[in-house]
Amino acid sequence: MDTSQLLKGVLDLAVLAVLRKDDGYGYDVVRRLRAGGLNDVGDASVYGTLRRLYNAGLLTSYVVPSEEGPHRKYYSINETGRARLAESRETWRSFASTLDGLLEEVAA
Amino acid sequence: MNTQALGVEHYLAGMRAALDDLPPAEVAEIMEDVEAHVAELSTELGENETLEQRLGPPERYAQELRQAAGYPPRTERLPVTTKKPLVTRPRAAAWGLAIATGITLLVGASTLREPVFLLLLPAVILVLSLALVHDRGPAQAEIMDLPETRRIQQWLTPEEGTPAERAITYLKSLQPAWWLARAVLLGLAAVLLAGRDIPGFLFLAAIAVISVFAGPRAKVDRRWLWFSLPASALAVGLVFQVVDVVANNLAYNTSRQSYPAPMVETYENIYAYDENGKLLTNVLLYDQDGNPINASRQYYGCNGSGPEPMIPANRYPRPKIDYENGTCYTVAPSVSAPSSTPSTPPSSSGSAPSSSVAPTSVSPSK
Repeated sequence: MDTSQLLKGVLDLAVLAVLRKDDGYGYDVVRRLRAGGLNDVGDASVYGTLRRLYNAGLLTSYVVPSEEGPHRKYYSINETGRARLAESRETWRSFASTLDGLLEEVAA
Repeated sequence: MNTQALGVEHYLAGMRAALDDLPPAEVAEIMEDVEAHVAELSTELGENETLEQRLGPPERYAQELRQAAGYPPRTERLPVTTKKPLVTRPRAAAWGLAIATGITLLVGASTLREPVFLLLLPAVILVLSLALVHDRGPAQAEIMDLPETRRIQQWLTPEEGTPAERAITYLKSLQPAWWLARAVLLGLAAVLLAGRDIPGFLFLAAIAVISVFAGPRAKVDRRWLWFSLPASALAVGLVFQVVDVVANNLAYNTSRQSYPAPMVETYENIYAYDENGKLLTNVLLYDQDGNPINASRQYYGCNGSGPEPMIPANRYPRPKIDYENGTCYTVAPSVSAPSSTPSTPPSSSGSAPSSSVAPTSVSPSK
Protein backbone atom coordinates (compact mmCIF):
# COMPACT_ATOMS: atom_id res chain seq x y z
CA MET A 1 0.00 0.00 0.00
CA ASP A 2 1.21 3.47 -0.86
CA THR A 3 2.15 5.11 2.42
CA SER A 4 2.07 8.60 0.91
CA GLN A 5 -1.73 8.40 0.85
CA LEU A 6 -1.79 7.48 4.54
CA LEU A 7 0.73 10.18 5.33
CA LYS A 8 -1.48 12.95 4.01
CA GLY A 9 -3.94 12.52 6.85
CA VAL A 10 -1.40 12.41 9.62
CA LEU A 11 1.35 14.75 8.49
CA ASP A 12 -0.02 17.51 10.75
CA LEU A 13 0.32 15.22 13.73
CA ALA A 14 3.81 14.12 12.72
CA VAL A 15 5.06 17.67 12.22
CA LEU A 16 3.64 18.85 15.54
CA ALA A 17 5.23 15.84 17.19
CA VAL A 18 8.77 16.52 15.94
CA LEU A 19 8.46 20.18 16.99
CA ARG A 20 7.24 19.20 20.46
CA LYS A 21 10.69 19.33 22.07
CA ASP A 22 12.81 21.61 19.87
CA ASP A 23 12.07 24.43 17.46
CA GLY A 24 13.17 23.77 13.93
CA TYR A 25 13.39 25.29 10.45
CA GLY A 26 11.79 23.62 7.47
CA TYR A 27 14.59 21.33 6.41
CA ASP A 28 15.19 20.41 10.07
CA VAL A 29 11.63 19.16 10.27
CA VAL A 30 12.06 17.16 7.05
CA ARG A 31 15.19 15.53 8.45
CA ARG A 32 13.56 14.70 11.79
CA LEU A 33 10.58 13.10 10.06
CA ARG A 34 12.89 11.00 7.87
CA ALA A 35 15.07 10.08 10.84
CA GLY A 36 11.87 8.98 12.58
CA GLY A 37 11.14 6.57 9.76
CA LEU A 38 8.89 8.56 7.40
CA ASN A 39 11.21 8.12 4.43
CA ASP A 40 8.62 8.96 1.81
CA VAL A 41 7.73 12.35 3.16
CA GLY A 42 8.03 15.03 0.48
CA ASP A 43 9.94 18.24 1.18
CA ALA A 44 7.22 20.39 -0.33
CA SER A 45 4.50 18.65 1.69
CA VAL A 46 6.34 19.40 4.90
CA TYR A 47 6.81 23.06 3.97
CA GLY A 48 3.16 23.33 3.01
CA THR A 49 2.08 21.67 6.25
CA LEU A 50 4.23 24.09 8.26
CA ARG A 51 2.51 27.01 6.53
CA ARG A 52 -0.92 25.57 7.18
CA LEU A 53 -0.22 24.92 10.87
CA TYR A 54 1.25 28.39 11.15
CA ASN A 55 -1.77 30.02 9.50
CA ALA A 56 -4.03 27.99 11.79
CA GLY A 57 -2.26 29.56 14.79
CA LEU A 58 -0.67 26.34 16.06
CA LEU A 59 2.92 27.45 15.37
CA THR A 60 4.87 30.65 15.76
CA SER A 61 7.93 31.57 13.72
CA TYR A 62 11.09 33.62 14.08
CA VAL A 63 14.02 34.29 11.78
CA VAL A 64 17.63 33.45 12.59
CA PRO A 65 20.32 35.01 10.38
CA SER A 66 22.78 32.72 8.72
CA GLU A 67 26.38 33.63 7.91
CA GLU A 68 26.19 31.96 4.53
CA GLY A 69 22.98 31.76 2.59
CA PRO A 70 19.51 33.06 3.34
CA HIS A 71 17.98 33.44 6.80
CA ARG A 72 16.40 30.43 8.43
CA LYS A 73 12.85 30.68 9.63
CA TYR A 74 12.36 28.61 12.74
CA TYR A 75 8.96 27.29 13.74
CA SER A 76 8.00 26.58 17.31
CA ILE A 77 4.87 25.02 18.72
CA ASN A 78 2.68 27.20 20.95
CA GLU A 79 0.08 26.31 23.58
CA THR A 80 -2.69 25.95 21.00
CA GLY A 81 -0.41 23.65 19.03
CA ARG A 82 0.34 21.52 22.07
CA ALA A 83 -3.37 21.19 22.83
CA ARG A 84 -4.02 20.16 19.24
CA LEU A 85 -1.15 17.66 19.39
CA ALA A 86 -2.58 16.03 22.55
CA GLU A 87 -6.06 15.90 21.04
CA SER A 88 -4.84 14.49 17.70
CA ARG A 89 -2.76 11.90 19.48
CA GLU A 90 -5.86 10.59 21.26
CA THR A 91 -7.78 10.53 18.01
CA TRP A 92 -4.96 8.69 16.28
CA ARG A 93 -4.61 6.12 19.06
CA SER A 94 -8.25 5.26 19.14
CA PHE A 95 -8.35 5.16 15.33
CA ALA A 96 -5.24 2.97 15.21
CA SER A 97 -6.56 0.55 17.82
CA THR A 98 -9.89 0.37 16.01
CA LEU A 99 -8.11 -0.45 12.79
CA ASP A 100 -5.86 -2.95 14.59
CA GLY A 101 -8.98 -4.67 15.90
CA LEU A 102 -10.46 -4.82 12.43
CA LEU A 103 -7.24 -6.24 11.02
CA GLU A 104 -7.08 -8.88 13.80
CA GLU A 105 -10.57 -10.03 12.89
CA VAL A 106 -9.56 -10.28 9.26
CA ALA A 107 -6.47 -12.30 10.18
CA ALA A 108 -8.38 -14.59 12.52
CA MET B 1 29.57 27.76 -7.45
CA ASN B 2 28.17 30.25 -9.92
CA THR B 3 26.25 27.72 -11.96
CA GLN B 4 24.81 26.37 -8.72
CA ALA B 5 23.76 29.87 -7.67
CA LEU B 6 22.14 30.33 -11.06
CA GLY B 7 20.35 27.01 -10.64
CA VAL B 8 18.98 28.14 -7.28
CA GLU B 9 17.78 31.46 -8.71
CA HIS B 10 16.17 29.74 -11.66
CA TYR B 11 14.42 27.25 -9.42
CA LEU B 12 13.14 29.95 -7.06
CA ALA B 13 11.91 32.05 -9.99
CA GLY B 14 9.95 29.04 -11.22
CA MET B 15 8.45 28.60 -7.75
CA ARG B 16 7.46 32.24 -7.51
CA ALA B 17 5.79 32.12 -10.90
CA ALA B 18 3.82 29.04 -9.86
CA LEU B 19 2.62 30.73 -6.68
CA ASP B 20 1.98 34.22 -7.97
CA ASP B 21 -1.79 33.99 -7.71
CA LEU B 22 -1.54 33.81 -3.89
CA PRO B 23 -1.48 36.89 -1.66
CA PRO B 24 1.99 38.51 -1.86
CA ALA B 25 2.49 38.39 1.92
CA GLU B 26 1.86 34.65 1.94
CA VAL B 27 4.14 34.09 -1.04
CA ALA B 28 6.86 36.04 0.77
CA GLU B 29 6.52 33.75 3.80
CA ILE B 30 6.61 30.62 1.68
CA MET B 31 9.60 31.81 -0.31
CA GLU B 32 11.46 32.55 2.90
CA ASP B 33 11.21 28.90 3.84
CA VAL B 34 11.87 27.65 0.34
CA GLU B 35 14.89 29.85 -0.30
CA ALA B 36 16.65 28.47 2.78
CA HIS B 37 15.63 24.96 1.78
CA VAL B 38 16.82 25.18 -1.80
CA ALA B 39 20.05 26.92 -0.75
CA GLU B 40 20.81 24.19 1.76
CA LEU B 41 19.95 21.42 -0.67
CA SER B 42 22.12 22.92 -3.37
CA THR B 43 25.18 22.55 -1.15
CA GLU B 44 24.37 18.83 -0.74
CA LEU B 45 24.06 18.21 -4.46
CA GLY B 46 26.63 15.94 -6.02
CA GLU B 47 28.50 16.59 -9.26
CA ASN B 48 26.18 16.97 -12.23
CA GLU B 49 23.15 16.69 -9.97
CA THR B 50 20.56 19.39 -10.40
CA LEU B 51 17.91 20.72 -8.07
CA GLU B 52 15.26 19.48 -10.49
CA GLN B 53 16.55 15.93 -10.15
CA ARG B 54 16.42 16.14 -6.37
CA LEU B 55 13.18 18.07 -5.89
CA GLY B 56 11.33 17.68 -9.14
CA PRO B 57 10.42 20.66 -11.32
CA PRO B 58 9.56 23.85 -9.43
CA GLU B 59 5.97 23.68 -10.67
CA ARG B 60 5.47 20.27 -9.08
CA TYR B 61 7.15 21.39 -5.86
CA ALA B 62 4.80 24.39 -5.77
CA GLN B 63 1.82 22.16 -6.51
CA GLU B 64 2.66 19.74 -3.69
CA LEU B 65 3.22 22.63 -1.28
CA ARG B 66 -0.09 24.22 -2.21
CA GLN B 67 -1.92 21.00 -1.56
CA ALA B 68 -0.27 20.42 1.81
CA ALA B 69 -0.78 24.03 2.84
CA GLY B 70 -4.44 23.95 1.87
CA TYR B 71 -4.20 26.77 -0.68
CA PRO B 72 -6.66 26.76 -3.54
CA PRO B 73 -5.33 25.10 -6.69
CA ARG B 74 -3.89 27.39 -9.26
CA THR B 75 -6.72 28.66 -11.42
CA GLU B 76 -5.38 30.28 -14.54
CA ARG B 77 -1.90 30.78 -15.82
CA LEU B 78 -1.43 34.50 -16.26
CA PRO B 79 1.12 35.82 -18.71
CA VAL B 80 2.72 37.53 -15.74
CA THR B 81 6.27 37.99 -16.92
CA THR B 82 5.32 40.20 -19.84
CA LYS B 83 2.45 42.13 -18.33
CA LYS B 84 4.12 43.01 -15.03
CA PRO B 85 3.87 46.77 -14.46
CA LEU B 86 7.14 48.65 -14.33
CA VAL B 87 6.33 50.40 -11.06
CA THR B 88 5.47 47.78 -8.48
CA ARG B 89 5.18 48.30 -4.75
CA PRO B 90 8.51 46.59 -3.99
CA ARG B 91 10.26 48.66 -6.63
CA ALA B 92 8.73 51.93 -5.37
CA ALA B 93 9.73 50.98 -1.83
CA ALA B 94 13.29 50.12 -2.83
CA TRP B 95 13.72 53.38 -4.71
CA GLY B 96 12.10 55.30 -1.87
CA LEU B 97 14.67 53.80 0.47
CA ALA B 98 17.53 54.67 -1.90
CA ILE B 99 16.35 58.24 -2.46
CA ALA B 100 15.68 58.88 1.23
CA THR B 101 19.13 57.53 2.07
CA GLY B 102 20.69 59.90 -0.49
CA ILE B 103 18.80 62.90 0.87
CA THR B 104 19.80 61.94 4.40
CA LEU B 105 23.43 61.88 3.32
CA LEU B 106 23.13 65.42 1.90
CA VAL B 107 21.25 66.74 4.92
CA GLY B 108 23.71 64.96 7.21
CA ALA B 109 26.57 66.84 5.61
CA SER B 110 24.94 70.10 6.71
CA THR B 111 23.01 69.09 9.83
CA LEU B 112 24.90 71.31 12.24
CA ARG B 113 24.41 74.37 10.03
CA GLU B 114 20.95 73.74 8.60
CA PRO B 115 17.83 73.07 10.65
CA VAL B 116 17.44 69.43 11.60
CA PHE B 117 13.79 69.40 10.50
CA LEU B 118 15.08 68.99 6.93
CA LEU B 119 15.46 65.35 7.98
CA LEU B 120 11.68 65.11 8.09
CA LEU B 121 11.62 64.90 4.28
CA PRO B 122 13.58 61.63 4.07
CA ALA B 123 11.75 60.42 7.18
CA VAL B 124 8.40 60.84 5.42
CA ILE B 125 9.69 59.06 2.29
CA LEU B 126 10.97 56.20 4.45
CA VAL B 127 7.70 55.75 6.31
CA LEU B 128 5.69 55.80 3.08
CA SER B 129 7.99 53.40 1.22
CA LEU B 130 8.15 50.99 4.14
CA ALA B 131 4.38 51.06 4.43
CA LEU B 132 4.25 49.77 0.83
CA VAL B 133 6.11 46.56 1.65
CA HIS B 134 5.75 46.11 5.38
CA ASP B 135 3.33 43.22 4.91
CA ARG B 136 5.78 41.36 2.64
CA GLY B 137 7.69 39.84 5.53
CA PRO B 138 11.16 40.22 7.00
CA ALA B 139 13.02 38.74 4.03
CA GLN B 140 11.58 41.20 1.46
CA ALA B 141 12.17 38.57 -1.20
CA GLU B 142 10.42 40.61 -3.90
CA ILE B 143 12.77 43.55 -3.39
CA MET B 144 15.77 41.24 -3.34
CA ASP B 145 14.46 39.85 -6.62
CA LEU B 146 14.36 43.18 -8.49
CA PRO B 147 16.91 43.41 -11.32
CA GLU B 148 18.51 46.47 -9.70
CA THR B 149 18.96 44.81 -6.31
CA ARG B 150 20.17 41.64 -8.03
CA ARG B 151 22.89 43.65 -9.68
CA ILE B 152 23.96 45.16 -6.34
CA GLN B 153 24.02 41.69 -4.80
CA GLN B 154 26.11 40.35 -7.67
CA TRP B 155 28.46 43.26 -7.26
CA LEU B 156 28.75 42.60 -3.52
CA THR B 157 29.45 38.89 -3.96
CA PRO B 158 32.50 38.56 -6.19
CA GLU B 159 34.14 35.25 -7.05
CA GLU B 160 35.56 33.47 -4.04
CA GLY B 161 39.28 33.97 -3.46
CA THR B 162 39.57 37.25 -5.34
CA PRO B 163 40.94 40.33 -3.53
CA ALA B 164 37.53 42.00 -3.88
CA GLU B 165 35.88 39.07 -2.13
CA ARG B 166 38.43 39.19 0.70
CA ALA B 167 37.97 42.96 1.06
CA ILE B 168 34.19 42.63 1.28
CA THR B 169 34.49 39.80 3.81
CA TYR B 170 36.80 41.98 5.89
CA LEU B 171 34.45 44.97 5.70
CA LYS B 172 31.55 42.75 6.72
CA SER B 173 33.50 41.71 9.81
CA LEU B 174 33.77 45.41 10.73
CA GLN B 175 30.01 45.88 10.68
CA PRO B 176 29.41 45.68 14.46
CA ALA B 177 32.20 48.23 14.98
CA TRP B 178 30.50 50.52 12.47
CA TRP B 179 27.17 50.22 14.29
CA LEU B 180 28.91 51.43 17.43
CA ALA B 181 30.81 54.21 15.65
CA ARG B 182 27.58 55.29 13.98
CA ALA B 183 25.81 55.59 17.33
CA VAL B 184 28.74 57.59 18.77
CA LEU B 185 28.79 59.97 15.77
CA LEU B 186 25.03 60.53 15.94
CA GLY B 187 25.24 61.00 19.71
CA LEU B 188 28.00 63.59 19.34
CA ALA B 189 25.97 65.50 16.76
CA ALA B 190 23.00 65.43 19.13
CA VAL B 191 25.14 66.83 21.93
CA LEU B 192 26.41 69.63 19.67
CA LEU B 193 22.81 70.56 18.91
CA ALA B 194 21.65 70.39 22.53
CA GLY B 195 22.43 74.03 23.23
CA ARG B 196 20.35 75.61 20.49
CA ASP B 197 17.89 73.08 19.10
CA ILE B 198 16.14 70.89 21.66
CA PRO B 199 13.79 69.06 19.21
CA GLY B 200 16.77 68.42 16.93
CA PHE B 201 18.75 67.13 19.88
CA LEU B 202 15.97 64.74 20.90
CA PHE B 203 15.51 63.58 17.29
CA LEU B 204 19.20 62.82 16.75
CA ALA B 205 19.59 61.27 20.20
CA ALA B 206 16.66 58.94 19.51
CA ILE B 207 18.18 57.94 16.16
CA ALA B 208 21.52 57.31 17.88
CA VAL B 209 19.98 55.03 20.50
CA ILE B 210 17.75 53.09 18.07
CA SER B 211 20.62 52.71 15.60
CA VAL B 212 22.43 50.47 18.08
CA PHE B 213 19.61 47.94 17.85
CA ALA B 214 18.78 48.56 14.21
CA GLY B 215 22.10 47.19 12.89
CA PRO B 216 21.79 43.63 14.20
CA ARG B 217 17.99 43.64 13.71
CA ALA B 218 18.37 44.47 10.02
CA LYS B 219 20.40 41.27 9.59
CA VAL B 220 17.32 39.27 10.56
CA ASP B 221 14.54 41.52 9.37
CA ARG B 222 15.31 43.53 6.23
CA ARG B 223 12.55 46.00 7.09
CA TRP B 224 14.97 47.48 9.62
CA LEU B 225 17.07 48.61 6.64
CA TRP B 226 14.58 51.47 6.33
CA PHE B 227 16.08 52.74 9.55
CA SER B 228 19.61 51.38 9.45
CA LEU B 229 20.64 52.57 5.97
CA PRO B 230 19.60 56.23 6.43
CA ALA B 231 21.14 56.23 9.91
CA SER B 232 24.43 55.19 8.33
CA ALA B 233 24.04 57.86 5.65
CA LEU B 234 23.44 60.47 8.33
CA ALA B 235 26.56 59.41 10.22
CA VAL B 236 28.65 59.46 7.02
CA GLY B 237 27.24 62.90 6.20
CA LEU B 238 28.33 64.11 9.63
CA VAL B 239 31.85 62.83 8.98
CA PHE B 240 31.88 64.73 5.67
CA GLN B 241 30.80 67.84 7.48
CA VAL B 242 33.54 67.57 10.09
CA VAL B 243 36.12 67.06 7.33
CA ASP B 244 34.70 70.08 5.45
CA VAL B 245 34.83 72.35 8.50
CA VAL B 246 38.38 71.31 9.37
CA ALA B 247 39.54 71.77 5.75
CA ASN B 248 37.92 75.20 5.58
CA ASN B 249 39.61 76.30 8.78
CA LEU B 250 42.98 75.15 7.50
CA ALA B 251 42.46 76.93 4.17
CA TYR B 252 41.34 80.10 5.95
CA ASN B 253 44.41 80.13 8.17
CA THR B 254 46.82 79.66 5.26
CA SER B 255 45.12 82.28 3.15
CA ARG B 256 45.34 84.80 5.96
CA GLN B 257 49.04 84.20 6.23
CA SER B 258 49.91 84.43 2.56
CA TYR B 259 47.63 87.24 1.43
CA PRO B 260 47.79 90.21 3.78
CA ALA B 261 45.16 92.79 3.09
CA PRO B 262 46.56 95.82 1.17
CA MET B 263 46.96 99.02 3.17
CA VAL B 264 44.25 101.47 2.31
CA GLU B 265 45.24 105.08 2.65
CA THR B 266 42.68 107.76 2.64
CA TYR B 267 43.27 111.41 2.08
CA GLU B 268 40.88 113.95 3.38
CA ASN B 269 42.61 116.99 2.07
CA ILE B 270 45.75 118.00 0.13
CA TYR B 271 47.93 121.00 0.84
CA ALA B 272 50.31 122.37 -1.77
CA TYR B 273 53.24 124.66 -0.88
CA ASP B 274 55.55 126.55 -3.14
CA GLU B 275 59.33 126.44 -2.72
CA ASN B 276 59.18 129.33 -0.30
CA GLY B 277 56.90 127.46 2.01
CA LYS B 278 53.88 129.46 1.06
CA LEU B 279 50.56 127.56 1.14
CA LEU B 280 48.97 127.59 -2.30
CA THR B 281 45.22 127.84 -2.51
CA ASN B 282 42.78 126.93 -5.30
CA VAL B 283 45.17 124.37 -6.77
CA LEU B 284 43.59 122.00 -9.30
CA LEU B 285 45.19 118.55 -9.43
CA TYR B 286 45.06 116.16 -12.43
CA ASP B 287 46.76 112.89 -13.25
CA GLN B 288 48.61 112.04 -16.47
CA ASP B 289 45.37 111.34 -18.30
CA GLY B 290 43.77 114.58 -17.32
CA ASN B 291 41.46 113.02 -14.81
CA PRO B 292 40.88 115.07 -11.68
CA ILE B 293 42.56 113.72 -8.57
CA ASN B 294 39.90 113.71 -5.95
CA ALA B 295 40.45 113.06 -2.31
CA SER B 296 38.57 109.93 -1.53
CA ARG B 297 35.95 111.32 0.75
CA GLN B 298 32.76 112.95 -0.33
CA TYR B 299 33.14 116.61 0.24
CA TYR B 300 30.90 119.61 0.21
CA GLY B 301 31.81 123.04 -0.91
CA CYS B 302 30.54 126.36 0.29
CA ASN B 303 28.23 128.65 -1.58
CA GLY B 304 26.96 130.63 1.34
CA SER B 305 23.55 129.01 1.67
CA GLY B 306 24.66 125.54 2.79
CA PRO B 307 26.74 122.47 2.02
CA GLU B 308 26.48 121.09 -1.47
CA PRO B 309 28.86 119.06 -3.67
CA MET B 310 31.91 121.15 -4.41
CA ILE B 311 32.73 121.66 -8.07
CA PRO B 312 35.39 120.97 -9.05
CA ALA B 313 36.15 118.33 -6.45
CA ASN B 314 39.86 118.39 -7.21
CA ARG B 315 40.40 121.92 -5.91
CA TYR B 316 42.71 121.95 -2.91
CA PRO B 317 42.95 122.61 -0.11
CA ARG B 318 39.34 121.85 0.46
CA PRO B 319 37.52 124.20 2.72
CA LYS B 320 36.02 123.17 6.01
CA ILE B 321 32.49 124.02 6.82
CA ASP B 322 31.51 125.30 10.20
CA TYR B 323 27.96 124.08 10.37
CA GLU B 324 27.14 126.01 13.50
CA ASN B 325 27.99 129.41 12.13
CA GLY B 326 27.40 128.68 8.46
CA THR B 327 30.85 129.86 7.46
CA CYS B 328 33.56 128.33 5.30
CA TYR B 329 37.27 128.39 5.94
CA THR B 330 40.39 126.59 4.84
CA VAL B 331 41.78 124.48 7.55
CA ALA B 332 45.45 124.78 8.31
CA PRO B 333 47.61 121.70 7.81
CA SER B 334 49.37 120.07 10.69
CA VAL B 335 51.81 121.96 12.87
CA SER B 336 54.76 120.28 11.20
CA ALA B 337 54.07 122.03 7.93
CA PRO B 338 56.56 124.62 6.77
CA SER B 339 56.03 128.11 8.08
CA SER B 340 52.86 129.35 6.55
CA THR B 341 49.75 131.24 7.25
CA PRO B 342 46.32 130.00 6.27
CA SER B 343 44.75 132.15 3.63
CA THR B 344 41.51 132.29 5.53
CA PRO B 345 42.01 132.16 9.24
CA PRO B 346 39.54 130.03 11.15
CA SER B 347 36.64 132.09 12.26
CA SER B 348 35.47 129.76 14.95
CA SER B 349 38.22 127.31 15.73
CA GLY B 350 36.54 126.25 18.94
CA SER B 351 33.61 124.49 17.35
CA ALA B 352 35.57 122.86 14.52
CA PRO B 353 37.40 119.75 15.71
CA SER B 354 40.66 120.05 13.89
CA SER B 355 41.57 116.45 14.47
CA SER B 356 38.97 115.23 12.00
CA VAL B 357 40.29 117.44 9.24
CA ALA B 358 43.95 118.18 9.78
CA PRO B 359 46.14 115.75 7.78
CA THR B 360 48.22 114.78 10.75
CA SER B 361 48.95 111.28 9.54
CA VAL B 362 49.78 112.27 5.99
CA SER B 363 51.92 115.24 6.36
CA PRO B 364 52.62 117.20 3.18
CA SER B 365 56.14 117.78 4.45
CA LYS B 366 56.99 114.19 3.76
